Amino acid sequence: MDPKPAVLAAVLLAPAFLLLALIVVYPVGRLIWTSLFELNLTSGLPAEFTGISNYVLVVQDPVFWQTLTNTAVITVVTVPGALVAGMVLALIANLPFRRPWPVRLALLVPWAMPLAFTGLISAWFFNSQYGVVNDLLRRIGLPQPIWFNSAVLSMAAICLTIIWKASSFVAMILFAGLQTIPRELYEAADVDGAGRLRQFWSVTVPLLRPAIVVAMIFRTITALQTFDIPFTMTRGGPGNTTRTLAMYIYQNTVSFLDLGYSSTLAVVMFLISMAVSVVYLRQIRATT
Amino acid sequence: MRLRGAALRPIAAFLVLVNGLFPAVWMLLTSLKSEAELTRTPITWLPANATLVNYVHAFHEQPLLRYLANSLIVASASTALTLLVSVMAAYALARLDIRFRDLALGAIIAVSTFPLVTLLVPLFEILRALGLLNSYGALILPYTVLSLPICTLVLVSFFESIPRDLENAAMVDGTTSVGALTRILLPLSAPGVATAGILAFVNSWDEFLLALSFNSASAYRTLPVGITLYQGEFSFPWPEISAALVVGIVPVTVLIILFQQRILAGLTAGGVKG
Amino acid sequence: MPPGLRLICLALVLALPARADTVLKVYVSGQIATPVFRKALDRFEAANPGTHVQIEVGGATSEEQAQYLNTVLSAGDSSLDAFLLDIVRPAQFAAAKWVTPMNSAIGDPKQFMKQYLPEYAKADTVKGEVVALPAFADAMFLYYRKDLLDKYHLQPPKTWDELATQVKTILAGEHDPTLEGVSFQAKAIEGAVCTFLLPYWSMGNSLEQDGHLTFDREAATKALTMWVNLVKQGVAPKNVAEIATDDTRKDFQAGKAIFAVLWAYGWADFQGPDSAVRGKVGVAVLPAMTGGRSVSCLGGWQWGASAYSKHKPEAVKLVKFMSTPDISKLLAVDASLLPVFPSLYHDPEVLKADPWFADALAVVQTARTRPVTPLYNQVSEIIRTTVNAVLAGTQTPEQGAAQMGAQLRRVLH
Repeated sequence: MDPKPAVLAAVLLAPAFLLLALIVVYPVGRLIWTSLFELNLTSGLPAEFTGISNYVLVVQDPVFWQTLTNTAVITVVTVPGALVAGMVLALIANLPFRRPWPVRLALLVPWAMPLAFTGLISAWFFNSQYGVVNDLLRRIGLPQPIWFNSAVLSMAAICLTIIWKASSFVAMILFAGLQTIPRELYEAADVDGAGRLRQFWSVTVPLLRPAIVVAMIFRTITALQTFDIPFTMTRGGPGNTTRTLAMYIYQNTVSFLDLGYSSTLAVVMFLISMAVSVVYLRQIRATT
Repeated sequence: MRLRGAALRPIAAFLVLVNGLFPAVWMLLTSLKSEAELTRTPITWLPANATLVNYVHAFHEQPLLRYLANSLIVASASTALTLLVSVMAAYALARLDIRFRDLALGAIIAVSTFPLVTLLVPLFEILRALGLLNSYGALILPYTVLSLPICTLVLVSFFESIPRDLENAAMVDGTTSVGALTRILLPLSAPGVATAGILAFVNSWDEFLLALSFNSASAYRTLPVGITLYQGEFSFPWPEISAALVVGIVPVTVLIILFQQRILAGLTAGGVKG
Repeated sequence: MPPGLRLICLALVLALPARADTVLKVYVSGQIATPVFRKALDRFEAANPGTHVQIEVGGATSEEQAQYLNTVLSAGDSSLDAFLLDIVRPAQFAAAKWVTPMNSAIGDPKQFMKQYLPEYAKADTVKGEVVALPAFADAMFLYYRKDLLDKYHLQPPKTWDELATQVKTILAGEHDPTLEGVSFQAKAIEGAVCTFLLPYWSMGNSLEQDGHLTFDREAATKALTMWVNLVKQGVAPKNVAEIATDDTRKDFQAGKAIFAVLWAYGWADFQGPDSAVRGKVGVAVLPAMTGGRSVSCLGGWQWGASAYSKHKPEAVKLVKFMSTPDISKLLAVDASLLPVFPSLYHDPEVLKADPWFADALAVVQTARTRPVTPLYNQVSEIIRTTVNAVLAGTQTPEQGAAQMGAQLRRVLH
């Protein structure tokens, strides 16, 4: 017989929360604690409790605002971008092919390529002399810009790369969702005289909503943490125009050894991410 | 109408194939070229003199097979663990009416909102205290946690999108919740489980920062870290690194395709597909 | 011997604690010829019986290496006893108290450091304490195409203006659209700091004195303008802002550049079997600004002993050993790594293995070390982003210099 629901729930959730407690709670706790101190390893001085003054410093920091803006641009461009691209890819992959595995493989490979090398490969693709992109433009007869000499073009190259990779992630989740939509619903819609597009909006999208929301939550959180691709492609250049918040955090942690400040920035990133997630989670609640 | 649709299908498939596979194919072609060929203008697409020497170098310079094996062990173990833990948690969050459901979901998501680099040193200390540094455990444990949020959420959304009727009927007949989970819900959610598994596997396979910091001994080194060691302080030998990348990607994709088909076949065999 | 006595002797021998061998773990960045370091460490083991040294390799680039050491040392881990540090790190590591000062083992620091190339004394001494010892040297060279310069009867240029003129002459004569004048780095990497400092130092300026900022805005503007003008005149490629160190090497190696500003590692590749410029390469001191002196940017790696080591005396001993002429010669002969001792550049065995070291010495002696301050990474960040922005054309040299000054003043006072 079934144990009481509360007991069963506790047992089922225990492993997850035990793992989280072991691996995450101490590091995150220490992070939040450190953000209340002035701690820079290169000063040789011990940590000094400064309360929320680090947070005040962050608000007054122009580099923070610049990196936040860059991160926001990337998020606003790549989240819808990956959604649209991912949806298209998933829908195509869901078509009845005689041999489905090549298309499914193509859906998966971009996500399977290591992130660090995706950036390096993309930097090479957009290289003004030796890159494929400019070679294609040359063959078509279009001008070939020096991508990394321009803030706008650099950001475009970065966003395109991110969308390429992330659309694979979104597509996989949506594709799985598409598998569970019963064929009868489409057949019934056909009988009702609804066209393909109408079926998409009235059958596919509503039933895919949970999958879409999940994909969007993680796409957004990942977008806010964008690091590898801009780091390897432009190092944040030209100037600071493609430097993201995650790059700034990395720099403060590893390069500047300013642990108090980088902890503060990380907590700020967490707060922004959670705010966004709450909005999304309400969407999940609305659909069930 | 139907004819037009069928004609568009191969074009659509072609676009998807090009989009997904072009960079990988480019890496493959690069791995067959010599470095000198890469600085030719205009650039060449197919190799002028295809050669396998980069693969020879790649395997000769570093124990690539060992790195592959290490990555395989770590990724497989952490994926299995992640799936186990997240299936249980997702079932509880999706099917059992818990008062703190939203809070629990929020807490799980919150884990993934912190940039890994800021958690690195405390994590290092934890693993050191557990005596796990430079072992498979040093990576299996964190990787399991890293993929927990996404896998749990994917599974929650899948479980919730499946109506409870079949399970309720079964439970009225005397099946336990766990039985309903394994015999009814999981098969129906097969695509979701397969996807969660793929996501966890790829996350673990490609992870770099923790692998660099925790398993520095070459006996336990994983593939992404190993590939960066083909670099010199300044030099970046694209052909050799491409060869190593190709070697890194091929097993992953083969495994995943097989895994995906197996899981779908295995789980849906017992369930009722809508 | 009576049996009782024998028994007592045996008991005594067994009771004595076995002399435990010390094992030292040494962290060497992946890119450096590990077999050669193994050889060097074997010599140390031979000279110090009872001590074994294990090599740990990880992180190919300077940044990855720093990232790894950062994690390990922030956690106060004792798993490493000594490590190789990029030349720009000792000041920061000393401030973070991650290295053991060497003073106790070397006597008078000033006297001891005299045996090395002079700028290393500056790079490795922090507040009177020697915190690291040089392992091998590196500097930025002017590589040039001997064949092309000979063809037009030119000698290596003494000033940047001369270089520009020479390039124009050669480009006009060669009619090769893929040939560039001079390749240098303006991607926002560490090398871009050297790009800025070369002309800045050439005019006799310093960026800091004893940890205090001595920024000359006019000189900075002139320095940045020099590079921008090279690009404007077509002497340097327009896409220089995306060029990193190895891109310069690859371009020059493929025969696409007349001049290259690059570290020492290029030489071996240029003379390698895959090189299009084998036998056609010369090295010279870098050109000076008009009225200035020729300078170079000093690189190289240093040995440091970990402050968390459980075998500090042995680690210090190891560091000192690895920084002797004997080992430096081994590294030069077996791995073509530039020696840190000026005398070795005249050594017949070294010259036999690396004949070009004769020319290299002149360059290495003009090399200066980048600012020695615990806040070096902040300084580096400011300089390299500015160089990158100015050479990408998104900022003028005047704007760049002004911004650089303002930001540096906030970091260094």
